[in-house]
Amino acid sequence: MSPRNSTTGLELDDTTIRSRRDYCELTDDDLVRLRSLRGLAENHADRIIESLYELMLSREHTRKFFPDEATIARVKRLQRKYFLELFDGRCDLEYVENRLLVGAVHERIGLGPAWYLGTYRRYLDSLHQYFYAELAADEAAAAFASLQKLVWFDVSLAMDAYIFANSDAIRRHQAALRELSTPVILVHDRILLLPLVGTIDSQRAQQVMDTVLLRIVEEKARCIIIDIAGVPVVDTNVADHLVKTTAAVRLLGAQTILTGISAQVARTIVHLGVDITTMHTLSRLQDGIELALRLVGKAIRPRKGSARLAPRES
Amino acid sequence: MTARRCHQLPIAVEDDIIVVRRAVRTLAEAHGFDTFASAALVTATSELTRNAWSHAGGGVATIDVVEEGNRVGVRVTLKDSGPGIADLPAALSGGFSTARSLGLGLSGSRRLVDQFDLQSTVGQGTTVEILKWKML
Amino acid sequence: MRGTIPILRIDGVLLAAVQVELRDAVAEAFQVDVLTAIESERARGLVIDITGIDVVDTYVARILTDTGRLAALMGTETVLVGMRPEIAATLVRMGYPMQGVRTALDLEQGLRLLRRSRRATVGKYGRGPA
Repeated sequence: MSPRNSTTGLELDDTTIRSRRDYCELTDDDLVRLRSLRGLAENHADRIIESLYELMLSREHTRKFFPDEATIARVKRLQRKYFLELFDGRCDLEYVENRLLVGAVHERIGLGPAWYLGTYRRYLDSLHQYFYAELAADEAAAAFASLQKLVWFDVSLAMDAYIFANSDAIRRHQAALRELSTPVILVHDRILLLPLVGTIDSQRAQQVMDTVLLRIVEEKARCIIIDIAGVPVVDTNVADHLVKTTAAVRLLGAQTILTGISAQVARTIVHLGVDITTMHTLSRLQDGIELALRLVGKAIRPRKGSARLAPRES
Repeated sequence: MTARRCHQLPIAVEDDIIVVRRAVRTLAEAHGFDTFASAALVTATSELTRNAWSHAGGGVATIDVVEEGNRVGVRVTLKDSGPGIADLPAALSGGFSTARSLGLGLSGSRRLVDQFDLQSTVGQGTTVEILKWKML
Repeated sequence: MRGTIPILRIDGVLLAAVQVELRDAVAEAFQVDVLTAIESERARGLVIDITGIDVVDTYVARILTDTGRLAALMGTETVLVGMRPEIAATLVRMGYPMQGVRTALDLEQGLRLLRRSRRATVGKYGRGPA
């Protein structure tokens, strides 16, 4: 098995290529035919590329990707080479990797699938004209049919490349979101606070436990307050996750205080028969903080004498 | 789903359990498993490998890297030619045990992985296959 | 095998740091060593440091809880310290939360726990046997 292609995320081995070719009904005969048209393609390559860039430079959206003459010249050269590869008469791993590379480069600079497809449309359009102008009708038809198959084959790869790049970005965002969604705060020496907000599915629950445990070790916490006032639904699963987290927290020698329990949630927990005797449970976060302080041997008390601090001068 | 065989290791002596565990851990970490996911897979592996050693007189462990779509996972298969498990439902339902019996190990391991498949024939042996995906 | 896991005396309690793989022979020897030490040192507490253990399956969990039970039978309270977070998570997810075993984050907190516990016991029953 060949290594995973980093551009599309596909396994690009000969088997995959063969099955895609097969689905496009792209045969060796097609490739041989295209190879035989190489001369024709070379004759018209410059004109075809010129008109393609005329199109791109005349449209505002695509013009901005070609800021100067040097860039345009370089890109035209690469594009010509890319165009002529359609007539190389091969469709192997190397051909495929070259195609994908170009797609990846364009995706990175922001030229999306629309551009990719638009370019191929241009090629097909231009070549259709030249085929029918220079070849006998039946030859032209056969040539065009072969060309279309290869173009669709290329496009299918390009789509995979774009989708992979997209889903990669989504994955990274999701990872970042997950990190933000479990903010474990050190509110006092050895006391952590986790305000849970939003729904807790099993993946998030797992992440919550992992993060809580890491933070306890990090801060040598003796207790963690988990406030669930912001969790809209507390069902068996959520309750179960809280029980498990409490058990794991205990194994690190710390205690869990659950706060933000509404009357509704209290009824649900009792009704479900979940055993929450292993954790302290309270309705108000404030009470949770006071309990936490007591557990670590501290308390909040009023200051003696001229109590309040004066507000700062602005 | 495609798989790549990475290790095939014997389970003959007690120390082999550690060898199998270490191979799984190294592979999991190489493929980006975080400490928690790695610990879960390695613990399940340890549990099942020990079963093969202590209850079945030994066997073979194979470790594969598996790919499906965009995700990657590690699959461990423990195969023994021991006595087999007579009462499968009981064994899988868990519960504690004081003697050297299967007890909690099987059901506990199952909870730690994403896929768990057990085939057992009395008199012929047992094959357990576990798989854990790397969370994306 | 005896002495594979060294047992030290610190602050009136026994401290054993498990830094090797727990195999049958090693585990048995360890338990014998612990009981011997409790007898000869008359320690009132035992701290088992498992910072060095990277996998706790039911086999290892059972050894640790059994050791705690053996010590308790001889009047010595046990505290497990240094459990790695991923091990705590795995034990709980497996369904084996090791209830009945006292735990603390590290040696310092473990010793504090034993001291508090000892004070409470002495308070309840007066001075124990000398």
